[in-house]
Amino acid sequence: MIEINTLSHSFAIGKKGNERKIPVLEEITLHVKQGEIAAILGKSGSGKSTLLNILAGFMAPESGMVAVGGQEISSLNESAMANFRLKNFGFIFQSFQLMPALNAFENIELPLKIKGIKAPERKAAVEKIMAEVGLSAVAGHYPNELSGGQQQRVSIARALITKPPVILADEPTGSLDSETEQEILDLIRSLNRDLGVTFVIITHDDEVAGIAHRQYRLHDGKLAKGTQRHAI
Amino acid sequence: MQFKDQLGFIAQHMKRNKLRMATTILAATMGCAFLIVLASVGFGLHKTLSDDILENRTVTKIEVPGKKDSEDAITVQEAEAMREIPHVKAVAERSRPQAEGEARLGERSAYADLVFVQFENEEKAGLALSEGAMPSAEGEVLVGYHFASSLLIREERDNTTEGKELDGFAGSLIGQTFEIELKPYEGEGEPVVREFMVAGVTEEPAKDWMMDSSIYADESWSKTIAESLGTEETPHEVLVYADELQYVEGITEKLKRDGYYVYSVTEELGSMNMFFTLLKAGLIFVGTIAILIASIGIFNTMTMAVTERTREIGVMKAIGAQPKLIQRLFLMESAAIGIIGTFLAVIIAYGISMLANWLVPMIVMSSLDEEEMGDFNLLISVIPWQLVAISSAISIGVAMVSGWRPARKATQINVIQALRQEL
Repeated sequence: MIEINTLSHSFAIGKKGNERKIPVLEEITLHVKQGEIAAILGKSGSGKSTLLNILAGFMAPESGMVAVGGQEISSLNESAMANFRLKNFGFIFQSFQLMPALNAFENIELPLKIKGIKAPERKAAVEKIMAEVGLSAVAGHYPNELSGGQQQRVSIARALITKPPVILADEPTGSLDSETEQEILDLIRSLNRDLGVTFVIITHDDEVAGIAHRQYRLHDGKLAKGTQRHAI
Repeated sequence: MQFKDQLGFIAQHMKRNKLRMATTILAATMGCAFLIVLASVGFGLHKTLSDDILENRTVTKIEVPGKKDSEDAITVQEAEAMREIPHVKAVAERSRPQAEGEARLGERSAYADLVFVQFENEEKAGLALSEGAMPSAEGEVLVGYHFASSLLIREERDNTTEGKELDGFAGSLIGQTFEIELKPYEGEGEPVVREFMVAGVTEEPAKDWMMDSSIYADESWSKTIAESLGTEETPHEVLVYADELQYVEGITEKLKRDGYYVYSVTEELGSMNMFFTLLKAGLIFVGTIAILIASIGIFNTMTMAVTERTREIGVMKAIGAQPKLIQRLFLMESAAIGIIGTFLAVIIAYGISMLANWLVPMIVMSSLDEEEMGDFNLLISVIPWQLVAISSAISIGVAMVSGWRPARKATQINVIQALRQEL
């Protein structure tokens, strides 16, 4: 499903003309199969967020190849990449990234609106997914009226609403207490099991990585030796 | 994203910043209303003067006094050719004797303005009667509506100088026989006296101040009377009548190209139209400056909107919104400011225009005598649909141009940086 081959990236720091390159990713090669949960583990500054940003198409890699579902994404322009994201990716962010002016229902509905789906179809799809993630009772609540766990559920529902084959999760439980964290991890596990969605989870937490079928550990931009791999 | 959803999206965002939006819309409204009201003064004065010109004459009449390169009279063939010009309703030829005339009916007399006409063509041109019928026998004539009142006795003439109201001839002139004495302007010729019978009286002229005391005789009299007076026949003045006012200009141009001296209402209106077109363009230009000032407010509002919504734009881009969609949403928002502002401005401008048209003539009337004003219809402000269309296009166009740069900025927002922004 996801193929990353010899991916390298660096950031330039310093004044223009006197820049210095700091490598953040070096020769990364990894593969994620369809229906897997893959965890990319690493400490702060290990390059895991950069890897996610490249995988999501938010930035282009310096070298190497990234392909999702057989499509090399590093060659896509901004418009084509936006279209690709809409069809293939769902996003779960650490800080939820919900629209404050929209209620839970409208936040979940947003990707369908962007996709141009008609209102009656949207309503049915949103109501179904809200029931699946246990949010039916708070459909009309705005983000500031929801708990952290509820907000993350809204975020997960928004990621799933377009039925993408891949969900990219950046520290999905990073802003939650341990009890809520467990709830969210259980939800991710059940969605993966029931819907067959591929998850790529960026985390620094071994417990979160514990739900993954495949783990990759990043250390100073390199894939560390002893990366754990196991089949589904 | 469907258009309906885009509208809903921008409406939601506009509601979030009600006060800021309201003040921006107010600025756009004031700018556009100023433009419309200012230009409407040009349109109003133009209409007032045009109407005044058009009301005071037969607007479809084109006078053709002669030819540019010849002193010869316009021939029958040439007059016939004029009839063939598209949208010419009628061509009437008129002439007058080279003599001074006096009409006498019993003890009453009047200055006689004898005009030789072709009744058939005059009828086609719209000559109508208030009583009687068109002349059908030799010696029958038509008299103008005011001819009867101009027939005075000696005492009445003396009273004229004292400013008293005069009735002239009372009763119907139809069937009355009167004589005309014509004395040649030049030469030693003897005066000629002819008798005519009144067959009909022309319709009252449209305007109160117009007087018609002429005596209309068939053109066959022209040659006979000229021979009796020992003078030459006067060249015919040709009057060409158009179907409608809109065709007058085209016919006038055609006649000019054909080598005739021509005078019509469009000639008079032409130079005035040119002046007012320039005036209106100038006023629209000055009014546009007000809209440009308002556009600074729109630019600021949209720039702030983009800055405030950076994180939201980042999220939208992350979940797959096209840069073009982001740009369109912001452009639609600035266009919405322009559209709402323009809509309100049009309503306000019409209100101000009505108020000005009610108030200004009252002020002018109070400072002038009623007689000085007469039936002069002063319109200080007129807002035609063309002005509304031009102002709306300028106002909405400027609003969209103001929002264009912030909208471009929104598309260039970096997703990673936007998502890092604190809530």
